[in-house]
Amino acid sequence: MDEEPERAKRWEGGYERTWEILKEDESGSLKATVEEILFQAKRKRVFESHGQVRLGMMRHLCVVIDTSRTMEDQDLKPNRLTSTLKVRKRGDRGDVGIITTKNKRAEKLTDLAGNPKKHIAALRNAKDSTCGGEPSLYNSLNLAMQTLKHMPAHSSKEVLIILSSLTTCDPANIYDLVKTLKALKIRVSVIGLSAEVRVCTVLTRETGGSYHVILDESHFRELLMFHVKPPPASASSECSLIRMGFPQHTIASLSDQDAKPSFSQAHLDSTSGGPGLSLGGYFCPQCHAKYTELPVECKICGLTLVSAPHLARSFHHLFPLEAFQESPLELHQGERFCVACQGELRDKSVFTCPWCCSVFCVECDLFIHDILHCCPSCIHSRP
Amino acid sequence: MKLNIEGLLVYFPYDYIYPEQYSYMLELKRTLDAKGHGVLEMPSGTGKTISLLSLIVAYQRAYPLEVTKLIYCSRTVPEIEKVVEELRKLMEYYSKEAGEKNNFLALALSSRKNLCVHPEIVHANIIVYSYHYLLDPKIADLVSKELAKKSVVVFDEAHNIDNVCIDSMSVNITRRTLDRSQANVETLQSTILKIKETDAAKLKEEYRRLVEGLKEANVARETDIYMSNPVLPDEVLQEAVPGSIRTAEHFVGFMKRFLEYLKARLRIHHVVQESAPQFLKDISEKVCIDRKPLRFCAERLRSLLRTLEIADIADFSAITLISNFATLVSTYSKGFTIIIEPFEDRTPTIANPVLHFSCMDPSIAIKPVFERFQSVIITSGTLSPLDIYPRILDFHPVTTASFTMTLARTCLCPLVVGRGNDQVAMTSKFETREDFAVIRNYGNLLLEMSAIVPDGIVAFFTSYIYMENIVASWYEQGILENVQRNKLIFIETPDAAETSMALEKYQEACENGRGAILLSVARGKVSEGIDFVHHFGRAVIMFGVPYVYTQSRILKARLEYLRDQFQIRENDFLTFDAMRHAAQCVGRAIRGKTDYGLMIFADKRYARADKRGKLPRWIQEHLTDGSLNLTIDETVQLSKHFLRQMAQPFKQDQLGLSLLTLEQLQSEEMLQKIAQIAHQV
Repeated sequence: MDEEPERAKRWEGGYERTWEILKEDESGSLKATVEEILFQAKRKRVFESHGQVRLGMMRHLCVVIDTSRTMEDQDLKPNRLTSTLKVRKRGDRGDVGIITTKNKRAEKLTDLAGNPKKHIAALRNAKDSTCGGEPSLYNSLNLAMQTLKHMPAHSSKEVLIILSSLTTCDPANIYDLVKTLKALKIRVSVIGLSAEVRVCTVLTRETGGSYHVILDESHFRELLMFHVKPPPASASSECSLIRMGFPQHTIASLSDQDAKPSFSQAHLDSTSGGPGLSLGGYFCPQCHAKYTELPVECKICGLTLVSAPHLARSFHHLFPLEAFQESPLELHQGERFCVACQGELRDKSVFTCPWCCSVFCVECDLFIHDILHCCPSCIHSRP
Repeated sequence: MKLNIEGLLVYFPYDYIYPEQYSYMLELKRTLDAKGHGVLEMPSGTGKTISLLSLIVAYQRAYPLEVTKLIYCSRTVPEIEKVVEELRKLMEYYSKEAGEKNNFLALALSSRKNLCVHPEIVHANIIVYSYHYLLDPKIADLVSKELAKKSVVVFDEAHNIDNVCIDSMSVNITRRTLDRSQANVETLQSTILKIKETDAAKLKEEYRRLVEGLKEANVARETDIYMSNPVLPDEVLQEAVPGSIRTAEHFVGFMKRFLEYLKARLRIHHVVQESAPQFLKDISEKVCIDRKPLRFCAERLRSLLRTLEIADIADFSAITLISNFATLVSTYSKGFTIIIEPFEDRTPTIANPVLHFSCMDPSIAIKPVFERFQSVIITSGTLSPLDIYPRILDFHPVTTASFTMTLARTCLCPLVVGRGNDQVAMTSKFETREDFAVIRNYGNLLLEMSAIVPDGIVAFFTSYIYMENIVASWYEQGILENVQRNKLIFIETPDAAETSMALEKYQEACENGRGAILLSVARGKVSEGIDFVHHFGRAVIMFGVPYVYTQSRILKARLEYLRDQFQIRENDFLTFDAMRHAAQCVGRAIRGKTDYGLMIFADKRYARADKRGKLPRWIQEHLTDGSLNLTIDETVQLSKHFLRQMAQPFKQDQLGLSLLTLEQLQSEEMLQKIAQIAHQV
């Protein structure tokens, strides 16, 4: 999300028929169509929210990334793998694990953990790895299932497969595995990078996931963002209150002679090395074990440790900001400037907040809904 | 829903209707009103069967005196079962809506195990059975001759009806047939001797009857109870059976002589082709057999078998075949040709003489049907060009229409690939088909497609020999190995058991995500009867134009006949025949509106107007100038884009566009749109 996709060379791109979209208006001018295209490009579809339903906020998500031969296809620039890794973005409250599959095998890249940094680092390494062979849906699902099946029943267990290949090489009948997954209430979703494959259709339909196939890179990103949103919890999933700890971050000052560096519990069993000893950290309010990073589940007493911002980040999923009303510019009266960016309203539609009736331009509307999740004008006017 | 089609109340057992179904029923109703014949083309998967059934049943109820019976002919047993299923739905709907227990009797004759010989068949309102029951003179006589004149006959999937007609009238005689006939004759002889000792009166009675002639049959035909049988010509009925074959012994002796003559004719070393009169002249010179007794052969044998009370007629199929041949050859001086080949073209060293008595005029077999029944409907998904069927079947339809498919999304994507990436033209033309570059380009096309098309691909070749050559060559070039990294490969063979095994495994591979390619042959079993719905066929590749093997003597004779009798040029007919098979092949992929598939025509000749124009309208519609004469690269790009588009969730927004409720149907605007669906020729 942070890096802009590099502009592909025109001759590397596919055959495009740009002239077919163009239509002349009555005066024979193309201006209207061109403007329309530009506007459509700006205005991305906002996913409809689920409304008032219970959401599975506690998520355990296994992301399976296909790194088979087909990932080297160049229809996403520079190739599908790099593009995929570029687009990957961490979600929110929940644990993510990454599995890759190639050469008919599945490997665990990272374990289920709430810490985004580790995943990003692992993915960065993976960028340079080579792709080869065929993927195996069965093996990856099996691996994901082994990890997920011990997770508590109140959390939402999900697998997200990013599949580039059109084939899968399986050691056993995949439909048996689908039944098992269904019984374990693991939801499998697939994002296909090339075309609709029958086995994925069945897989997602049976396990209650979703199946999408990308059109291009921006659509790909959109689909991934869709998976960041927590899914509605299934009615049968257990409902329970969860104890959570909110540890304070304490920093012992270096001048304090009594302070002794100590290990973080999270680093004890990790083989990645890194600086094990540190002075400050988060201390579990129940057993005082030390952790350098949040969110985490306490290794000693099993308490879930989070910080307030973590919870706040998930908050907007439960109470999403209402969509602004779109109306044509001609009908709009009053301010000709966007409340947020103070720019002149030039596009053909303007967006009005239903509460404070402030007017925004397309770009600001997108920014507010995708990233801010609250209306700046409303907050401002609140006493 | 209840529809009002030009004043006729039609019960339609579904809540929604496709616009083209409505249009189809409209045309059908007009045909029935005019008491004429019709040729209707509508793509498969748009509910042709139910439209036909509901309209004709409604018509029967409204005008019981005008139309008494519906005879629905389909091709295969599964198709017949599908029809019965739809019919059942319709009947349920009737009893639910009308509230009355209807007294409709429907009857399906599918296979021997369901065979019904109950006399009630005559009173059934709807009969569903295979083509052969009506067209094949041998069976038609048993099953269909008592069907009432005021029936409506429907031939579904009728794009091959001319070949069915020809096959039903043609006779092939090999040495084996003759040997078995010889055995039959001997059995007959011994049975006659036995009966003579025990029950001579019976034979006398038969003799008496034969002197009187076939009066019974004649009376029946004149009073219009029976449908005429092309093997039993009118003249035969007027006359008494000639004396030379009237007694049983004489007849057996006569048959023996005839068999000996045929045997002698098969002892040849070069190909002989002659017309029926030539054959008759020769036989009269060599063994003194006249035309007249030959003509009575079939009827005389039937009478003999009846007299001898022989139960298992199947044992006597060989001699029946010979006697039918005798009658046909002496009855028709036109429309047939006799070709005697000493060996097969493929194995010129092995002597295997065959006498082909080949029918060249499909109208002979179907003539009684057109003459007898007041309305005959010929329908299929691929009947283009529509005007050729009335010409070769020799009838005058009152309606000839082609319907297009209204689609909420463009779910078919026909592409004509004309060149490889190296710009070498791709064609299965005879001169270049062995060309290394052509074969390599075909291989590359398959390879590229196998990498981007999910699940199943079906590839059709023009013939088994061509497929063998190409596959062998691909193997040497290592193309097959590369293809196999993407998908498994299955091959259709002439052997039915092998093919059905390959099909089963192919479907399994598509089902569990491995993906597969089925290499098969146009005109083969796969191209005609097997549907590849959804993931079983995401793409069909047609390698080359499936022209029929033009060196065949039978075909040459037929082409000549068509030119002389119907003024159809050889080339026109060949192209028509090739294109209808190509359309059949590619049509395998789309079996409904929710289905989608690529149709790839891999031959540059498809881009020409004379080929393209012969494709069904519902395919032509989507074949734009931009999808002609593509290179492999361009094809891949377009296909990729198409497949991604199709993989997007298909919102059920067909409603109001390609799927209508009753209210939507009645709107003025929609009726105007519907009027454009039918394309009159």
